[in-house]
Parts: sequence; structure tokens; C-alpha cells
Amino acid sequence: MTIALAWKILTHDKGRTLLALLGMFMAILLVFIQLGLFFAVPLGGMLLYDNMRFDLLLVSSHYEYQAQPGVFSLSQLAAARASPDVAEATPIYFGFAKWKGGVGGSWPDLFVIGIDPASGALTPDSIATQSDALARPDTMLVDSTTRPIFGSLATSRLVQIDDRNETIVGQYLLGTGFMGLGVALVDEANFARLFPRRGLGQVNLGAIRLKPGVNPDRAAADLQKTIGPGAQLFTRAKLAGRETSYWTTRTSVGLIFGSGLLISIVVGIMVVYQIVSTQVTRQLPQFATLKAIGYGDGALAVTVAAMSVMIAVAGFAPAVGAAVGLYGAIRQKTLLPVTMSAGHVAAVLAAALVMAAVSALLAVGGLRRADPADVF
Amino acid sequence: MAIAFSTLARRGGSRPVPLAWRSLTANKRRLLRSSAGIGFAVLLMLMQLGFEGAFFNASLQVLRALDADIVLQSTHKYQFATEDPIPTSVLASASAVAGVASARPLYADWFGLFWKDPDDGKVYLVRGFGFDPDKPVFLFPEINAGRALLKQQDTVLVDRRARRFLGMDRTGGQSELNGTKVAIVGNFALGPDFTSDGTVVMSAATFAAAMHGAAGNPPGMEAGLIKLSPGADRAMVLAALKKSVPAEIAVMTKAQLIEKERAFQADVSSAGPIFAIGTIVGFVVGMLISYQIIFTEVSDQLPQYATLKAIGYPTVYLLRVVLEQAALNGISGWVPAWLLSLGLYRLIGQIALLPMRMSVEISLVSLALTLSMCLISAAIAVGRVIRTDPAAVF
Repeated sequence: MTIALAWKILTHDKGRTLLALLGMFMAILLVFIQLGLFFAVPLGGMLLYDNMRFDLLLVSSHYEYQAQPGVFSLSQLAAARASPDVAEATPIYFGFAKWKGGVGGSWPDLFVIGIDPASGALTPDSIATQSDALARPDTMLVDSTTRPIFGSLATSRLVQIDDRNETIVGQYLLGTGFMGLGVALVDEANFARLFPRRGLGQVNLGAIRLKPGVNPDRAAADLQKTIGPGAQLFTRAKLAGRETSYWTTRTSVGLIFGSGLLISIVVGIMVVYQIVSTQVTRQLPQFATLKAIGYGDGALAVTVAAMSVMIAVAGFAPAVGAAVGLYGAIRQKTLLPVTMSAGHVAAVLAAALVMAAVSALLAVGGLRRADPADVF
Repeated sequence: MAIAFSTLARRGGSRPVPLAWRSLTANKRRLLRSSAGIGFAVLLMLMQLGFEGAFFNASLQVLRALDADIVLQSTHKYQFATEDPIPTSVLASASAVAGVASARPLYADWFGLFWKDPDDGKVYLVRGFGFDPDKPVFLFPEINAGRALLKQQDTVLVDRRARRFLGMDRTGGQSELNGTKVAIVGNFALGPDFTSDGTVVMSAATFAAAMHGAAGNPPGMEAGLIKLSPGADRAMVLAALKKSVPAEIAVMTKAQLIEKERAFQADVSSAGPIFAIGTIVGFVVGMLISYQIIFTEVSDQLPQYATLKAIGYPTVYLLRVVLEQAALNGISGWVPAWLLSLGLYRLIGQIALLPMRMSVEISLVSLALTLSMCLISAAIAVGRVIRTDPAAVF
């Protein structure tokens, strides 16, 4: 009866209900945006790892996050490779160099990844298929999301990188994440040419792939003994937790989008409360009549709650659709990996229901004043 | 308040009745509800505007703190925080130009200085500035007060607003910079930006020693800071400097340098669009809330409006009353939201080390957005009053 009554009230005044849905829709959309951005930043930080094949990552014991990984010795990676558990171990080198061919005479900083392109440690197929071209001296692939300030990224363009003239031999698509405004990929020999003082003995990341059936946690514990001090091993799960906590707690990201999230939930509550309490006020005589004929406060409260929840659920569905579209637009505009996930949908649905519940609770206060004797 | 209230001339009485004000304050409960609803939407916009401002403040405040009229740097620099040294010899050429009072070196590095947290011994990348203690380059009084102390080799001033894991929030003690022991002889308040977590300021000699340790390179001068003689013509000195330094040296005023950096940050970062989306959504939500409020009020007062119409008040008058009431609703939401945002700016600024500052610009923009969202929704809601037929109401 109470649910049916809630439905009747909502469908009786269609204009007002439409307004309520619109308000709820916007509030939920707002929560989606803040949540999407909140998770996009750590996702941006995880971009390289999400495009890398590994079961265990060997890093320096000074490892901070992906762009500040520290170095360890190549011999430690070799020791890991010798383990019977390990199928492959690929060294990955990072370096910064000046791209002396930017727009307007600028020299933007280029993030250089040094890796054996045929190793398959990076997932984009375009890297492995272009490994022959990368084997020629002073050649590089550029990430196709490199910013316009770097000028043309066309194949066969010659660009001075630090003190060497490098030829662009192709592009690949992985994304620049927080590595920098532009990223290039070279093979190990060319990396050594580009950074002569550094050489190949000091490695930034070691991508270790285990043989089928080997448990990563157990292998990590075993390998830690083999590789000696100064380096450590992360499983994928442990690495993801570490990177996410870096971006959400060490930077202002967590607080900025966290507070945005909180305020958008409060605003959502305000919208629904505004609408439901107006309905309660307008239907006060009717509610008082119901009270007079014997319905308790509880039944009326359930009616109000049902109204709130109906508005929340009905506003939710279109908001999911709009959020998917808006995420695409934000991705396009900001290059941040704002993506919809089942987790987001579930979390926002929960938030919407909380908004509905709180605003119903606030509105029910008005109901108690529905004294049959007063109204008539 | 610049709103001229539409008033009912009291028949035979002396004082007019401010009708919009009266109907706004007639129901205190409702007023509280409406200002809370609009207020939170305004607060959302204020926070987004504040974050956007903080983003730019964070990247620009170190440039604003430079004690210079004109800055020399490499033409290849696309942003300030990138290594692109210029020869120190340009300072001599610049000093020779008429109207130049001083030309001072600023050494800087963003990717080669590692600071040890004195508390747990962990090592982090920091931003470092080096200068001649006899030739101040910063406007920070605390840095200038510490210049004498910096003359001692291996002493540093640290940024007490640096991210806390760096352990810079202290006045004394020791730490290490690229493995060299340094004494902390004072601090200043700058704060992190989106490249650097913290800042260390030291003498050019200490800077050179620390950089040798890391990369083996002699440190490069990143900028030459020029002060004009009193009465010198800025444009003329600027033109003369451009002629006297090599072509790969960019000569610009401090304001131009700041503008260049702002344009770069706006172009490459996502801060503008991200916070614009938040502000727009806040605006639309606010519009829905205020529509709801005004629609309800108009509906409830419909008999009264009809009465006014019946006794001869024109529709235009009723329109004005509704719009004024909408504007008052907006202001009653904006004022508490603005006050609350002052506290929130402070709190978040402290916790997140963000330079969140309430500015005249943010105040005016948010007020304009608030008034327009209320007036637009009132304009939509008011149709009902216009159509009011006195005969139908009774």
C-alpha cells in the first residue's frame, strides 16, 4: 500500500517528478565525475604497468613510484632469471633527454624507455612488429599520444635528442601517463648510445614472467633470497596497491577529488530532500487524512522513503549512460584514463541510495507535523 | 545590496512594503531549507574554482617570489621547471646595459637533487635553488634573513610547507643532499607544486658541491635576474638587453615569464577542463534546486499574486517581485557558502599543502554564477504567475 501510494504521488504530478529525476540525475552524474577523476589519477600512474607483461616486478629498494623507481644492478636480474621458476626476465631502462625540435624552438623533455622490443614485455603489438627498424642505430618509436609541443611525429623525421640525431621509425600507442609530455621507446643498444655515462648495468625495472603454475607470492619470497640486498620484488597486486596509495595519499589528488565527491553527495541529498519535502508539504492534508483513518507514522515514513528511492533509482539509470559519454569526453580532453567499471556503478548506486535515505529521513521530520486536527 | 525592492505602496500609509523580502522571510524553515540547498550548490562551485586557482597558484608562486624586473633564460625553455642552463657570461653583458641596476644568477635543479628525510633516512627528489648570498634573488623575507647563515658551506634553508614525508617542517638539525651532510639553518613557506614535493635553498657554492655529487656536471645557471635602476625605462632596457645578449637567450619581464608559465600549464595540464566540468555541474544542480524552490513559492503564493493582479497591480510588477525573490534566495545561499568556503579553503590548503586562496575574482565569478542560476530558473518558473487568472484562483 505504502509503495503504491509513493508511486501514485510521483505519477500524479509528472512535471514535478520529472524535475526531481533531473535533479537526481545531475547529482549522480556529479558523483560519477568526481569518482572517475579520483580513480583516473592512480590509473594514469599505473598505465605502463597495465601495458606490461609480468608476474613479478624487480625494482630498487629505493623505489618510490613508477616515474621515480631508482636503480638496481643488471646482475641481480640475471640471478633472478637463473631461477627454475622464472620463464623470462626483461630489463627496462628509463631516461630523460631533451627533444631539441619542439614547436617554436622549445626543447621539451622526452621520457625515453629502453627495452628489447622483441621481448614482448610491453603489450602493444606495434612495438614487437617494429623491432627490426629499432635495431638500426639511432632510431626510436614515439608514443602517438606525445603532446603537440614536440612537433611532427612523422616516420623518418630526424630529431636531435640530447647530443644525438635520432630518426623516428614509427609510432606505438601506450599513453604517456605521468611519465612526461612525450615518450619515446628505443632498444637497449640505442639507449646505451643515448645515455653513454649511464650504460646498461643499472636497471630501473625488471619484468619477470614466471613459468606456468608457479605461485607469484611464493616465487617472490624465494627470489628475494637469490637477488640479494638493494632490490625488491612486487607481485602485480602489491604493486597496484602501492602505486594507488602513492597517488591518492602522497599527492593532493585524493583530497581534491575526495572532497569533491563528498560535496557532490551532500548536494545530491539537498536536491532530493528539496523535492521530497515539497511533496510532503503539498500532500500534508492527504497524509493527515491517512493518519486520521489509522495509518501510523511508520507507514507514512515508508511512503516517503519509497518516493526517495524511486527518484534515486530512476535518476540513476540515465546518469550511468550520460557518465559513460562524459567519461569519453574527459578522456579525449585530458588524456586521463577515466573509465567506467562495475565497481564505479555499484559504488555510485550505493551513494545514490544513501542520498535518498538521508533526504527521506530529513523530509519525514515534516510529516510528524501532519496532525489531522490541525489540517482541517 | 544593490537591489531596489519592488514595494507595495501602502494605501494611505507612509512606509512601503518590501514584498520580495517579506515573502522570503515569511517562512523561516523554508528559508533555511532553500539557502541550504542553493548554498551547497554554490559551495561546490566555490571549491572547484578554488582548486583551479590553487593549481595555477602552486605552479606560479615560485616565479612570483623572484626578486626581478626582467628575467633572462634559455629560449629553449618550454616551462620554468626544466634544465636548460645559460652561460653566466650573459650577466656581465646585461650589467653593462644602461638602466640595469643588477644582474644576478639563479641556479636551479628539479631532477638531480636528492634529499634525505632526517627522520627515517629515506631519499626523495626535491627542487633546489642556489644563489649568491650577497645577491638576493627571492622576495621571501625569511630567505633573505637567512642569507648570512647560508654563506657557511653546506647549509640550507628548507620549505616548511613541503610534503610532510620529506621531514622539512623543522628549524634546525641535519640532513643530506645528494649524500653530502648539510645543516638546516632556517625555513620558509613555499609549498609543493605538481613537479616538486619540496624545495631547498642554498648558496651557489653549496649547490655546486651537491650537484657535482649527483651528476658530475658543473651546475648551470637557469636564469639571470635583472633589477632596473630607479627611473629606468623598462621598454628601453628590455630592447637594449635583447641586443646585447646572444640570440638563444630569451629576455622577458617577470610578468611575461609568469604569463608564459600560466599558458603552458593551461595548455598541457587538465586542470582547466576538469574543474570547469565541476563548476558547470554545480551550476546546473543549483539551477534545478532554485527552480524547485521558486516554483514552490510561486505556487503557494498564487492566490496572493492573483489578489494583487485583481486589485490592479500589473504583471510586470509581479515579475519583478519573483525575480527579486530569486535573487534574494541566491544571495541567502551564496553568503553562507562563501563564508564556509573560507574555512574549507584554509583546512584543505593546510592538509593538502595547496595554495587555496579566496580572491576577488573567485568571489565575483561565484556570485555572478549564483545570481544567474537563480534568475534563469526564476524566469522559467515565473510563467505560472503571468498566466494567473484571478477568477480561476478563487
